This record gives sequence, structure tokens and C-alpha cells, in this order.
Amino acid sequence: MKEKLMSMEEAVGLVKHGDLVTTGGVSFHRVPMELIRETIRQGKKDLRIVDREPAIGFDLLIGAGAVKSVRFAMLGFELLGFALNFRKAAEERRVELIEDTCGAVLNGFRAAAMGIPSIPVRGIWGTDLLEVGIQNGNYKVIKDPFTGEDIIAVRAIEPDVALIHAQRADIYGDVQIWGGRFEDVWKVKAAKKVIVSVEEIVDHEMIKLEPYKTTLPYLYVDAVVHLPNGAYPTSCYGLYNTDYEHIRQYVQMIRDGKFQEYLTNYVYKKGR
Amino acid sequence: MAEIKLIPEIMIKAMSKEIKDGDKAAHGLASPLPIMAMSLAKLTHAPNSIFLSAAEGLDPDLDKLNLTISSADPRLSKGAIAFLELIELFDLCQRKETDVMFLGGAQIDKYGNTNLSVIGEYSKPKVRLPGGAATAFQTPIMPKTVIWAARQSKRVFVGKVDFKTGVGYLEGGDSRERAGAWPTKLKVITNLAVYGFDEETKLMKVESIHPDVTVDMVRENTGFDIAIPPNVQITEMPSEEDLYIIRKLDPGNIRYSEFR
Repeated sequence: MKEKLMSMEEAVGLVKHGDLVTTGGVSFHRVPMELIRETIRQGKKDLRIVDREPAIGFDLLIGAGAVKSVRFAMLGFELLGFALNFRKAAEERRVELIEDTCGAVLNGFRAAAMGIPSIPVRGIWGTDLLEVGIQNGNYKVIKDPFTGEDIIAVRAIEPDVALIHAQRADIYGDVQIWGGRFEDVWKVKAAKKVIVSVEEIVDHEMIKLEPYKTTLPYLYVDAVVHLPNGAYPTSCYGLYNTDYEHIRQYVQMIRDGKFQEYLTNYVYKKGR
Repeated sequence: MAEIKLIPEIMIKAMSKEIKDGDKAAHGLASPLPIMAMSLAKLTHAPNSIFLSAAEGLDPDLDKLNLTISSADPRLSKGAIAFLELIELFDLCQRKETDVMFLGGAQIDKYGNTNLSVIGEYSKPKVRLPGGAATAFQTPIMPKTVIWAARQSKRVFVGKVDFKTGVGYLEGGDSRERAGAWPTKLKVITNLAVYGFDEETKLMKVESIHPDVTVDMVRENTGFDIAIPPNVQITEMPSEEDLYIIRKLDPGNIRYSEFR
């Protein structure tokens, strides 16, 4: 078996300017924040980012100027309000917005994971997002070949890279995700390259002792990075909670016009 | 404004009553009131309702539940039976196996269409909102959607939404079904009242107003003509037991966040 353990620098080096990138977790939970921070440190540009309900991870990438377009179903900070960098960039039209809806984004990942070009879905009818999706080329109304009914096909979403944070892996890339998996399994199977950061590197024998806990076996994974606390300030199920105070501070610093200071203190200075 | 103190609890109670025993009910992100309503229903009149959570924990232990700032927080899954990937919720919806979804609305119009996308023109918005999450996917196919708004005003209750992120009864009559959406039952619950829709015209109407809220307050905070029956009902107050449960589930008073 091939060893896939890499340094963070080497792993994130696999991300190219202009790549279509998705990230794991959801909102303030098990988001690969350190991989995202390294993406910013390496000065990646023109990224096209896609996720169902991202929050601070995408807002950080947008604020740091790494993003060309963002596809999302919701990009907010839940009860902490707007994702301010996203909102500002959107209103000033500095990033291209591709608004979508959860079920369509998820099925788009699933289609790519299945190796099919598109997938029919229910829902969306009667909403203005139908026209938006048709215009941006992500949806098409087709006739089901068997029933003849009109149905909306969603184009497969095949990211160039998926960045994922998980609890455990061995050096070969056999990964355990505990708790909510969200759509990480589909994102990983859909993506051309998969980079996983983990809290703990465990022996291969440990993985084999409990194979039913292996969420992502090695054949789906390209790089493993050992990054304890790598989801911070988002939560990591079973290990640590979201640091909501830090996120409040992030929001406040943007409000106060101090986002560059945030980047200096929490992104560019390594070793948190 | 009415005595604000028990308004969240009145809304939670009213929202919980939309869940029948045995229903599969679901909430999304940024949903403190739906989480409380689903919990209250399960602990009172709907013990066999099924709790589908954005945190993905199926049927968490409600005596361990503590409301958090994020509605996908792992602490909401304590004592869950399994983790259901969110995509399974959409599969269940497509298979017509879910019953109630709770969704928000920055703008809600007289036909129950909702906007969570932009204020102003879509391509050049005055305000870019976070987006509707599951709204566009689910509103066309759910048998029942409960829309909640913590701060009803003329800016929220509008004649026509700037953008239809979610479909209600579209333009009334059978226009919803003609657009390809499935039949549905819509409810809107705000800090002032509970609203249903006319069977024929599909126009919004008042079902009950909360204690201490007046008919004038409802009209003053609605941007369109709204039908109010002459002897309008008063929304049921939560019982002492309901209030005990609500406070126990939310000792940090997270449920008030949306009202500030």
C-alpha cells in the first residue's frame, strides 16, 4: 500500500489556481479550516468553490481574495448573522454567485460520485431558482424516458479537489469520520483529488480491528495530513466544540474593518 | 409591541401543534424555534414523531438536548439512534415520506411564497441574503411547510416577494400545481399571529392572533390586505408543563436570538 501521509504544505500544493474546490463538514462543524488557511497562505487564486451550507470556511476564502465564483445553497453564520465577506463581495459583484439549493447540490455531488453526467431531481418547480439554474447551465428540464414526465436534471458536480477534516486515519488514507458525515462521502467520491486532514494518525492494524468504522477507504484518498485541531474554530465531533466566541470575534473584526488583522493573526501566523 | 417575553414560547407551541403523532418532521440550519417545536411535540402530544435534524442525529435524547447557536452542532445529536446524512432527508422527501418542514422567510408574500435570496433586483441586489438552503428544493414537494418569522413587519409581509426562493401558492388558485409543484398545506407563524390560506383563492388569512396582540397590530405589520375573521381566535398559550420543557431545553435562552 502506498503511504499518503504528507506535510500540509505538500498536500495543499496539490490545489491549483482556478480549481473547483469543495470542503467537508457543514456550517461551523468539522470544516477543514487549517487546510483552508494553508490554501490562503499559499496564495491560491481564482478558486471556484462549491458547497451546500458553508459558513466561515468559504467566508474566509472569499475575504482573502482566493475566490472567483461560489456555488452555495446558503452561506451565512446562522444566529451570528451574515457571512460578511461573502455579502460584501456579492453586493460589490467581486465574486460570481451561483445560487443553488441543498438537494440539488447534494445530488450533483452524488451524480459525479456515480460517474453519471446528470441526475433527475424532484423539487425546485415554481421557484425562481429554476430559471437561475437553467440560465447558468446547471439545470435542464427533460422528459423522463420511461414515464414521459417533465423532470429537472442537475448537472454532475465534479470538484477538482475535496478538502476534508476527519477524526482519524492511517498513513495509507483509511479514514474514520465520527458523528455526522454530512455529504463528505459523496464529495470525496465525486472529486478528482482528495486531501484529508485528521486529528490523529492511527496504526493500520487499528483500522483493521474495526473495519466497520472506515468511512473512506484508501482508494478514495490522495493525501493525509496530521493536523490536530485542524477544524478549529469549527467543531470536531467527539473531540471539541465550536469556538463560538472566536467566530463572534471574526464577525466583529470584519465589522470594525479589521479583517486584514484577522488574516495576519489567525491565518498568516502559523501555529495558532 | 406586545409583551415580548412569552412570544417565542407561544410561537414554539403553535409550531409544535403542526406536528402530528407519527409525523416525520425536519429542521434546517439557523432554526432554534423549529428545534424547540419538534422537541416539544415529541415530549408532549407527538411522542412517536420522528426528529430529522440538520445535525444529522436521528431522534436525539431530548433530556440531553441543549439549544446551541448552530442548528447542526454535534451537541444536538446526543443520544441519537443513528446519523442520517442530509441527502437522505431529500431522498425521503422525493419519496413522499416526510410530513412537516420548518423554513424561514426574509420576505413572505400573500400567497406564502418566500424570499431568502436578495432584497432588490436579483442581479444587482440591495442586500444579498444568505440564501434559502433547502427551501427551493423542499417547498415544491413537501405536503406541509411551516414558515416562521420572528419579526413580522411590512418589510417581511410583502404583497410580492422580490425573488421566489420558495414556492407557496405561487399566484393563487391552482397556479402552484400548474407550475409542477405538488399540493401542499402552508402555515405561517410569526411573533404576532398564526396564518393559514383560503382554500380557493389561496390568499393568506389570519387563523389566530397571539394574546395581547391586536387586529390593528397585525394590519400595521402586513404589507397587503389580509383577511381577519370578525371573532378571531386567540393563539393557545403554552401550558406550565410546556414552559418547563422549553426552559429546560434552552437554559441559555438561544431561542430569543431571532427576536433581538
